[in-house]
This record gives sequence, structure tokens and C-alpha cells, in this order.
Amino acid sequence: MSKPAERTRDWAEEEDEDTLALPQPTVTKNKDGTETIVSYRIDENGKKVKTTRRIKKTIVKQIVNPRVAERKHWAKFGAEKGKPAGPQSDTTSIAENIAFRPTIGFRAGAQEEKSEEQKKAVLKDAKIKCRICSGEHWTSKCPFKDTMAPEGDSGPGLGDLGVDEAPAEGGLGVGGGGYVPPHMRKGGAGAGERMGGKFERDDLATLRVTNVSEFAEEQDLRDMFSRYGRVTRVYLAKDRETGRAKGFAFVSFEDRLDAVKACDKMDGFGFGHLILRVEFAKKST
Amino acid sequence: MRPILLSGHERALTQVKYTRDGDIIFSVSKDHIVCAWYSANGERLGTYHGHQGALWTVDIDPTTTLLASGGADNTIRLWDVKTGKLLKTWDFGSSIKRVEFSPDGTQLLGVTEKRVGHVSSIVVYDIKQDVEAEQSSEHALRIVVDESKATVAGFSYGAKYIIAGHEDGSVSQFDAKTGELLDTFQAHEPDFSVTDLQWSPDRTYFITASKDKTAKLISASDLALLKTYVTDTPLNSAALTPVKDFVILGGGQAAMDVTTTSARQGKFEARIFHKIFEEEIGRVRGHFGPLNYVAVSPDGKSYCSGGEDGYVRVHHFDRPYFDFLFEVERERANI
Repeated sequence: MSKPAERTRDWAEEEDEDTLALPQPTVTKNKDGTETIVSYRIDENGKKVKTTRRIKKTIVKQIVNPRVAERKHWAKFGAEKGKPAGPQSDTTSIAENIAFRPTIGFRAGAQEEKSEEQKKAVLKDAKIKCRICSGEHWTSKCPFKDTMAPEGDSGPGLGDLGVDEAPAEGGLGVGGGGYVPPHMRKGGAGAGERMGGKFERDDLATLRVTNVSEFAEEQDLRDMFSRYGRVTRVYLAKDRETGRAKGFAFVSFEDRLDAVKACDKMDGFGFGHLILRVEFAKKST
Repeated sequence: MRPILLSGHERALTQVKYTRDGDIIFSVSKDHIVCAWYSANGERLGTYHGHQGALWTVDIDPTTTLLASGGADNTIRLWDVKTGKLLKTWDFGSSIKRVEFSPDGTQLLGVTEKRVGHVSSIVVYDIKQDVEAEQSSEHALRIVVDESKATVAGFSYGAKYIIAGHEDGSVSQFDAKTGELLDTFQAHEPDFSVTDLQWSPDRTYFITASKDKTAKLISASDLALLKTYVTDTPLNSAALTPVKDFVILGGGQAAMDVTTTSARQGKFEARIFHKIFEEEIGRVRGHFGPLNYVAVSPDGKSYCSGGEDGYVRVHHFDRPYFDFLFEVERERANI
């Protein structure tokens, strides 16, 4: 019995598409007892593929039951009829080596967990510092985040006053060393208006709707509010897991006067089984 | 351990089986074809053509002369192993989920699926172990399974009992002569079907696998629960290894469930547990779909697994597998 015990190289490379005549496979016997088989075939894209395989044949002598020995010499049949003895490369191949080492107390993904624990440990040691008030909490959790600008950043509006220390050399902020975003560069000062510097376009015409039924849909809100004017945007907060509404929504109007009217009329409006509460949205940072 | 990859099938594998001598592997898949392979080098001996539908099951008689297969074309077919010739076809009203020969090869069992107008049943045929002989068309025994449909079944030692696994996770014991229901045992969670039932070499006990993520070792004579193996993935198959006291479990997240679960990975690995200590000792990866069936060679030197990915992987165990001992086992060996 022989079996391909070793196949060190198994790669295919593409050659010219034009030459379709396939060369005969060549078998070369190497000095170290291995064989190199070079075969050609045409793959499904019509490209010629050259396969070079280095095979070491080992004869494994095995004493088996005569029944088994007899079955070794059965003629092939069905789809294999007429094929030569030995494994065919189209149906049989050798997979990459798998190191199987039984271990007591095996735990799957033990290494993965370890690395995750390490990450957590790193985070635990790291000091959390708020960028707004320097307190020991995340910036997003800061109680002052709505009222104060991050430290070291001039608050909204101040930027427009133009305390410009930007490097003298125009467009790219090379001189200062660090990266300077385009709107902060002197050369681009004309183009970049800071978002926070002015109120956002529709900020004044946006209503915050709370106490919304969890079965509400955006379309329901749009229908209700479009009675008072043109609605430009409806945002209904939904739970990521369940897909149900979280109970609040934002509705933006094109015209602030429409928004005022809608705010008056819709506050206290019964929707679903709840009473809506409508107010003007507070400006976010 | 360098697995041999058998890629003769075009669709998902459903069952793989070794002969009694462990020299040939038979594989069936949803592509309607049975393949025979030499286990030593992965050479394909031949294919058996004739089925008109997906195949669910295959079994080989103890003398390696007859092969039975069953599938979704509502037939059990009997083949000449050596030539691939179709010898006999039994027609049914619904698909065949499992076939198995009795330990002496004189009987063949088939499990039929429950369908509208058809009850789930276990049929038994007397088999003449001769390729030339005319096989009987009449069943010797038919057990109608009224309650939860049978999914798997097999003969116990000496063909004394027929043990069946059911869709509701229970295991039942029938008298193989009369078909009388002797005992039932709720082995697995009621909502999860028994997916596999494989025997110990002497057929005094068996292992069941279930979608409830556990495999259980149960004795055949009194349906006593012996051992439980707990995993983290639905199981499709469980096999007992001779020589070493291990069990090999195969399963994985079914493709249809991947989007409805939050599992990060499919867990398409064969899990090897110690049979006595119920402890996991290792995993063998390689498939890129759930493992639908694992079979262990009766000589205990190799095992193969058939996956949803259409491949059979044959693994010949190497030294560490045979050398592995638990501390207590090693101590006992030294005394």
C-alpha cells in the first residue's frame, strides 16, 4: 500500500491563455527518494494551470485480514470505473496537518479569553479622564457636556472671533507640527464655518416628542405633524434589539412658525394609549 | 495528524459508515450518490447510482457484501458492495431516515418519516446474505410509532431490542421479535430531537446526540442513563471509540440558524470527550460547515466526519491520541 505521506508544495500558477495544448504530465524522480509530478489542466475560467507536486511514497506493510486484502484488489466501478489504482487527485487530497494533542481540562478558546482578560486589565489600569471637566468619567457621561466645550477647545462661537495662531505658511499646517484640520487652517479660513458656531439649519424648528407609544412608527408621526407644515425630518429612536420605539422622537419642520404651531397643538395629544409631550428640542453640543 | 479529504460529493454529507473491518468507508450525501472509499489512503473504490433523491442514510452488512441505503426518494435500496449493482428496491410512502443491519446481518431495519397520510414507522426485513438471492419484499416486522416520530433506530446486542430515538428527545426500547414497546426514557430535552444513535462495539450500550447540545450514554437493556456530555452547540452525531475510552461528538450551528443566533462562530469542530470522566480533552477543526455525521473505525485507529460543506475528512489518529491517559489511569497502569 502506498500513500502520499508528504506533499510539501501544492500551488498553481497561471500561464498563457493562448496555448491550449496541454503538455504531458512529467514525473521526475529526485535523489532523496521523492517524486516531482508536474501536471497541467484547464480550470473553469479556461486558464491553463500548472500544478507541481512533490510526493514521497512510503510503503506501509500491514498484516490484514484476508477479506480486507481481497477487497484491496476489487475493480473500480461507477464513476471510478476504468480509473487507475491509487487515489485520484480530483476526489482525494491531503489536508493541512492538524496537531491534535489531548489535554486534561481542555477549554476551547482558552487563549482567546486570556487575551480578552488582558485587554480588560489594561483598561482597568488606565485612568479615565473627561475631556470637558477632567473628572474621572467618560466624556460622554459628563454632566457638563451640554453646557461646556471640551477643555483646550475654544467654545462655540469663540472660534469666529479669530484668535488665530495658525501657522503662517498657508494651506497645510506644516509649521505647527501637528495636524491642523482644514477649517482651522488660515488659508481655508474663509471656507470653513464651524458647525457649532452657528445654530444648525433646522435646529430651531425641531421638536422633541416624548411619551411616544413603543408601537409607533415614523410614518405615524410624520402623518400627524405634517398637518401643521412641511416636515423635513422625523427621527424615532428605536431599540436596537427589539426594533421597538424607545419612546421619544424628533420632528423637524421646514418653517419655525409651523413648528411653534405644531408644538402648541400636539402637546398633550393622545396617541396610542399615551399622551404626547412635545417641546422644542434643546440644542445639543 | 494529516486528514485525508474526500471530495466526491457535490452536496452536504448525511452519513458516513465504516465496514466491520474498517477498510472501506461508505458515504451518502444529498447528491443522490453513495460513494465507497478505501479508508487507508482515501482512494475511491466506486459509486452506487440509482437513487432519485437526497440520501439520508447508509449501512453495510457485517460481511461487507451488501449495502443498504435510504433517502428522500422513499426507497430503501440494497446494493452489491463489490460491483455497485442494485439488487433490491423497497418502496415506501415517505422518506427513509435511517437504515441499519442487525449485528449478524440477517435483518435490516428502516425508519420511515412521518408525512401527511403516513405514520412514522420502523420496518424490519429479513435479509439473505447472498448477492444472488432474491430478497423478500414483505417486511418481517413493522412497528408503528404513534407518539413522537422516530428519527433514528438500531439493533441492540443479539438483535434482542430495537432502540429508537424520537423527535421529542426520548429514547424507546422495542422487542425486536414482536415489536412490543417495552420502555421509554426521556433522554434529552423534550423540544429537541435525537439526531444520532451509535452503538458500543458489543452493543450493550449506545450514545445519543441531540440538538439540545448534549450527548448521552445509555444502556440498552434497561435504558439507564450512564453518562452525559455537555457541549455548547447543537449536536448532529456522536460516536464511541474502541481502544481508547473516548467519544467523538460532531455538530455545529446549522446554516439556517446562523442569522437568528448571536453566536460568533459556527463551532464546526469535532469534540473529543473522555467517555468515563465526561471531560472534553480536545477538538479537531477543519470543516467549514456543521458536522453531520462522525464515524469511528471499528479498529479504533481512525475516524471520519462528513460535513455540510460536502467533504469527508478521514483522520488517522497518531501517537498522542493513543498515549493520552488521565492521571488516575496512568497510576493504575503503573501498579
